[in-house]
Amino acid sequence: MSASVQRSRGRARTADQRGGGTGEKYREMSVAEFFAKNKELAGFSNPTRALYQAVRELVENSLDATDAKGILPWIHISIAPVPEPSQGDGSRPRYVISVEDNGVGVPVTSMAMAFGKVLFSSKYVIRQTRGMYGLGVKAAVLYGQMTAGTPVEVFSATKGSQYVHMMRLMIDVQRNEPRILEKGEWNKRGSWHGTKVTLTLEGDWSRARSKILEYVKRTAVIAPYAEIVLETPDGEILYFPRTTRRMPKPPKEAKPHPHGVDIEQLKSIIRSTRAKTLKDLLVTEFQSIGEKTAVDFLERYGIDPKLKPRELLRKGRERLLRRLVDALMEYPFRSPKSDYLSPIGSDIIEIGLRRMFAPEWVGAVTRSPKAHRGHPFIVEVGIAYGGSIESRDEPLLLRYANKIPLLYEEREDVSYKVVSSINWKQYNIDFPAPLVVLVHIASTKVPYKGVGKESVSDVPEIESEIRNAVQEIARKLRIYLSRKAREQEAIKRSITLAKYIPEVALSLAYFIRPPEKWQPPREEEVRKIKESLIRLVARNIDLPPIDGESQDPEEIVRKIVESVQLD
Amino acid sequence: MSGEFFGDEVDLKARARAARVMYEKFNKIVKDVIRGKPPKLEIPKRTLSNTIFDPERGILVIGEEKLEREFLNVGESRRFMQTVLMASIIYQSLIENEYPTIRDLYYKGKHTITYSDHRGRKREENTWDEQKESDSVIQDIEVFTGLFREDMLILSKEKGKVVGNMRIRSGGDVIDLSKLGHGAYAIEPTPDLIEFLDVDAEFVLVVEKDAVFQQLHRAGFWKRYKALLVTGSGQPDRATRRFVRRLHEELKLPVYVITDSDPYGWYIYSVYKVGSITLSYESERLATPKAKFLGVQMSDIFGYRSKKPYLSEGERRKFMIRATDRDIKRAKELLNYSWIGKNSRWKSEIRLFLKHLVKLEIEAIASKGLKFFAFHYIPEKIETGDWIE
Repeated sequence: MSASVQRSRGRARTADQRGGGTGEKYREMSVAEFFAKNKELAGFSNPTRALYQAVRELVENSLDATDAKGILPWIHISIAPVPEPSQGDGSRPRYVISVEDNGVGVPVTSMAMAFGKVLFSSKYVIRQTRGMYGLGVKAAVLYGQMTAGTPVEVFSATKGSQYVHMMRLMIDVQRNEPRILEKGEWNKRGSWHGTKVTLTLEGDWSRARSKILEYVKRTAVIAPYAEIVLETPDGEILYFPRTTRRMPKPPKEAKPHPHGVDIEQLKSIIRSTRAKTLKDLLVTEFQSIGEKTAVDFLERYGIDPKLKPRELLRKGRERLLRRLVDALMEYPFRSPKSDYLSPIGSDIIEIGLRRMFAPEWVGAVTRSPKAHRGHPFIVEVGIAYGGSIESRDEPLLLRYANKIPLLYEEREDVSYKVVSSINWKQYNIDFPAPLVVLVHIASTKVPYKGVGKESVSDVPEIESEIRNAVQEIARKLRIYLSRKAREQEAIKRSITLAKYIPEVALSLAYFIRPPEKWQPPREEEVRKIKESLIRLVARNIDLPPIDGESQDPEEIVRKIVESVQLD
Repeated sequence: MSGEFFGDEVDLKARARAARVMYEKFNKIVKDVIRGKPPKLEIPKRTLSNTIFDPERGILVIGEEKLEREFLNVGESRRFMQTVLMASIIYQSLIENEYPTIRDLYYKGKHTITYSDHRGRKREENTWDEQKESDSVIQDIEVFTGLFREDMLILSKEKGKVVGNMRIRSGGDVIDLSKLGHGAYAIEPTPDLIEFLDVDAEFVLVVEKDAVFQQLHRAGFWKRYKALLVTGSGQPDRATRRFVRRLHEELKLPVYVITDSDPYGWYIYSVYKVGSITLSYESERLATPKAKFLGVQMSDIFGYRSKKPYLSEGERRKFMIRATDRDIKRAKELLNYSWIGKNSRWKSEIRLFLKHLVKLEIEAIASKGLKFFAFHYIPEKIETGDWIE
């Protein structure tokens, strides 16, 4: 399945760059048309999934337009039913989805293409973004026009612009071109910038409801720096206020790493490069290759460094091209750079988990970058325990890939495989337990299992990183839990003793005076004995420090003693 | 409330002495606490392992083992609290000339401690729940102070009774134990405060059961044989045991005991004779090591060697009761007690029981005829020396 999408991408690209002088011929089939016939590839298989997927695509676009550009996100999502004009006309329920953000905005010049031409997207570069194929929002637009017959409506203003632009457009499926129905522009009042997209499509809210709510909640977990509002067709409003101003650093763009390149990609690079020789191409178009490395590499594989890159695209050179790709994958280049990955950050994960679950303990880690087949990736894990978390028979697993929550196909996912195979008893956790495990995989290429992009394959490098990360945090949790158990034990001990202090003090006070001078004990005599006992008991308690803080035993004992009533 | 109305000279002296002892023992703990020393009570252990049979004196005594009851030990803090609470109540009762019963002490000390735990949840705990708990604390105080309950003027229900040709003084009154009609004198909880005036008796007959006591009393047994007739109504209380001991020790009268012919009856005899395990610390004052087990013996039923049985084959069938598993278990345990296991007469008695696995109540002998029991069986056995020691 994955291959067919790759291929369709290749075609669209080729069609896009006709006249590039490659001499190759492809049978034209519009990707929009292809999508219309294969909706399920983009996650639009039925009205339930379609509604969910459309919300997802729009929200992810909004996040990419905000946090990825250094803007603290404000996102307003609204889903409203379309009033049925007449009963019993057989039409299925339709919904108006509108998502507004305070992002960088879409320049008016690319607005039509961005929403009206499949696979035109700023995302077709190598870096970590939420969507990978740039198919998302256009798939939603297509689905909307197929099921509801309505155009998409876009309002947008970029940061520097003085105008707000509006466009209503549809996609010409045959030609894969935007068809603008209406457009307008207004003078901006104030400094608003951002985008508001509204589209109508057929959906099944009652079935999609739980997934959509879950999606928004999980998005809020890892984006505590965002302010998110969701208005549902039921009239509910979910509001997630911003709880921190800290944001992950935006991802940088980077050149591909030689280990991750395939033939199609190499061909595109050759077509677009300005390099005059193969050696220059390697140095300028790839990361991790310098002059020296390029020379050494070409020498080792006996390839002419002065070869003109375009020569490689000529007929009869396929074998050389293949040999070059194989060599690129084989040669021990430096590991890929990871600064164009954008992890969430352990501090933000902790803040998000705290906000959503009000746990007793939370811990998170951002691991150092690793690579799988030339693609750098970073694994992040957060664990929350106790507090308001409900006890369950297994950990509540929150999966994310490139900051997108993954809700479906949990049991297929590598994270599930790891988390469910961990022996939690070893970490002092007995199920049912109130445990949440968050796993985030950030990569320029997340190895999804299917085109639905809902589960990640068990690539050994990723699996072992997840395991290491989970274990690292689980060890910290174990230390916390055992300290807490010790503390509980000590507190229990102090209660056992402290609650008897008033009774013992009063009884002993009877023996202050000898029988011939006996009189009922005076209050200050009882207090004196009581104070002595409090100090004795407090001295006997050893409270372990938790998170560097230790409680004052005397205070604990005194509080209990003061609460005692004898009747 | 003063000694003029309550109690006599004898009582007042006992009170003053007990209060002094308690003050000295517990004031030391007060001083420890104020000095910042963890408070603890050193109490001789009242366990089977610390119960020793002293063959010379023929009684059970408490051993050397002591336990330290520390307030700071979580497992002992509750018991520590109970002990000082009970001590304060007893101390006050002594000073204020009260005569609490163990039931009174239970009620006086029983109340609820309410407190909030570290999470602020309200919790409740009673100082003690059942009287068993407070009774056991009283025993601890006895062992800790070396004072007996009676010394601390704590009363308990009167269980024991006595009739016979004897006059005593109690609480200032002279009582003639031969002029009580069909009734009997209830042995007071403080038998040490009784004064023996004069006596005309040759032996003491202790019967386990109150009903048999009444039958023998009405049959005029004690008049005819110059006996002091005593019952503890089952398991004897401390007053009855102390009273019997004083009769034996001060009046030099032999003591014969009649119980059911079963392991429970034998144990009651052993309580009179050597003391009980839980109260071994007081055996020295309560036990009567020379008390003789007159019957009913297994050999009275089945005969033994040359001895002829008192019961015919038919009577046996009529009166015998099948032994229960508990009886059998108990009998085997008794064989392990050193003061029984080393006595060959006792061993053959228990072996007879284990052979026939039947038991017999005293009433069975009496059913054969009260006259037979009172005027034939008992005197004959005393005359012929047919008892076990």
